[in-house]
Amino acid sequence: MAKPTVGIFGLTGCAGDQLLILNCEDELLGLVHLLDIREFVMASSARDELARLDIALVEGAVVTDRDERTLRHVRERANLLIAIGACAVTGGIPGMAPELDRKVLFREIYGDGADGFDLKAERGRPLSDFVKVDAVIPGCPIEKHEFLGAIAALLQGNMPRVKEYPVCTECRLRENRCLLIQDGAMCIGSVTRAGCNARCPSLGVPCIGCRGPAVDANFPSLEALLVSKGFEAKDIHDKLGVFARLPQPAEAPCAD
Amino acid sequence: MRRLTLVDELARVEGNGGITVELEGENIRKIEFNIFEGPRAIERILQGRPAQDVAGIVCRICAICAGVHYLTSVKATEAAFGTRVTETTELLRDLFVRAGNIESHALHVFMLAAPDYLGYPGSIAMAADHPVEVKLALRLKKLGNTLQELVGGRAIHPVNPVLGGFGRLPQAVDLIVARDELLWAIDALPAALDFVAALPSTEVCSADNTYAALVMPGRYGYFAGDEIEVVRADGTRQRVPGNEYRNLTNEYVLAHSFAKHSAFEGQPFAVGALSRLVVNRSLVSGSGQNALKRLGLHLPSRTPLDNNLAQAIELAMDLELALETIDRLLQGALVPQAPVAVKPRAGTGTGVTEAPRGLLVHSYTYNEDGRIVAADVITPTAMNAASIERHFQVAVSQHASGTDAALTKKLEMIVRAYDPCISCSVHLVRRS
Repeated sequence: MAKPTVGIFGLTGCAGDQLLILNCEDELLGLVHLLDIREFVMASSARDELARLDIALVEGAVVTDRDERTLRHVRERANLLIAIGACAVTGGIPGMAPELDRKVLFREIYGDGADGFDLKAERGRPLSDFVKVDAVIPGCPIEKHEFLGAIAALLQGNMPRVKEYPVCTECRLRENRCLLIQDGAMCIGSVTRAGCNARCPSLGVPCIGCRGPAVDANFPSLEALLVSKGFEAKDIHDKLGVFARLPQPAEAPCAD
Repeated sequence: MRRLTLVDELARVEGNGGITVELEGENIRKIEFNIFEGPRAIERILQGRPAQDVAGIVCRICAICAGVHYLTSVKATEAAFGTRVTETTELLRDLFVRAGNIESHALHVFMLAAPDYLGYPGSIAMAADHPVEVKLALRLKKLGNTLQELVGGRAIHPVNPVLGGFGRLPQAVDLIVARDELLWAIDALPAALDFVAALPSTEVCSADNTYAALVMPGRYGYFAGDEIEVVRADGTRQRVPGNEYRNLTNEYVLAHSFAKHSAFEGQPFAVGALSRLVVNRSLVSGSGQNALKRLGLHLPSRTPLDNNLAQAIELAMDLELALETIDRLLQGALVPQAPVAVKPRAGTGTGVTEAPRGLLVHSYTYNEDGRIVAADVITPTAMNAASIERHFQVAVSQHASGTDAALTKKLEMIVRAYDPCISCSVHLVRRS
């Protein structure tokens, strides 16, 4: 079988998902024997910008017009487009605080320099707001085992699958003390997508929701529970607003 | 007029950026630092957030320096609240930040910078001819990640460090396993240094420079300390207290450039591994001295490419010092404990540290409820922008007769030697 052609791209974000790929130190040299990597600017200055791609992995949110142009060009070239990481999947940190007007913020921070920014969105938007996304690998950053599992699935002709249940399930399986019920900490693992093996609560650190919302996440129930534990509505809203917010209907439609 | 495009997207650096240089004869008419990374307004988004949420948001500025961003944020917040942590916490923080330095330097020296010297587009292509060296670099890089994960709970975007300490202390048994890998690395390092020493010598530009770095209190490291020292081109030194960092950076905007610049006494200054060695030379340990000799690095240096060598020298010291810290932890300093209590109060706190690519400053003002009123983050790449530009000008003057391709390659090697981090350039301004 011919090796699938692959491109790895970064829009606006921290480049952590691309770095995680480079952090697969034990697997990296094996991966390049299985995949024909045509573009990976973070790792190599050799680029094949017109190649048809069997698989495109795209990290980062869409913030600038350039981000959108890059994304649409990648979509045209790719059979499968896979969003990797929180920014690409849900908007992530660039998508936080939707109530704040970005144009005002940029002027506050950068002064007159802000006038030169080529801004697409009011704030960071997920890829699915602009193009068809065939699969996602969630997380901030993505988990190594989920990335390698996704590549293995694709090489077998299958689509990568993500866990639909919440971090709470994994946390219970690890028999951790419950940080929310028993300790009264603002842990939001009950609405966050599993796959990290309850990384934070297993260290005694509350989940901040970096993997985005679980399927059928029951936000009202968590909010009621947090209120009963004495947390204020604003704090709950702020915490859920970092990573775990559910996509709003206005953000959902896909351009294709 | 000549127009040099340092590739549309600068490869082998973190983040999205390109650089265009316009020349008239031997003079640079304009340099554009094109930051394609969209603005994320992270400092502004922090306003109103409670102290315990800040580090987990702000570390997302950058993945390669996520660990040091996270802990510099913790340092700034603890300074604002007057928090005193335990010796165990101090040792683990030192180890964690050092592990990030090991990972970042192994990646940059061998996989991002070395391909330039040897004429490869990247490390994967280089691996075909230099498999032993690339595998060695990957294993060193992995060691840095293993240690970061062990202490920080995750290699990229840590979760275990909290205000006042750690969620859970690492297990002694895991430290013992990591210790074995460090012993391997110390044995393996001479071969890695030989590879660096054998890289073809490349002349890009020759000029003296001004260097700035954290003053390390008694031991070569990247986290402890609250003072900055500047070493001027004439060798004289000037101390700047960390909370007066604005007297070092003096950020200003230039008409011909699209980057906010930093200047000390009107002079550009460099930050990074080379600056740290110049400022803290008396703390360079035995393995560092040996590495200095092996690589033939003479301080202070006259070429920015020496930063690549300086990183390799730090790598040699870091392995030895990480081992020393682990031994102290295993010999009694790993005392079981919960994080110390953190009591919010109104005020400003500044954390100054050394990221792999240079000085990093986080400064926060909190209200009495422990919510952020104002946040300021100054990254090494923002501080280095003026120095990069100055070295470009020197390179252009010294090599103006060369072809565009030759000159472009030199400028690319200069900018890459600074190990720039485009995502980190939160204060780089682009204007049209």
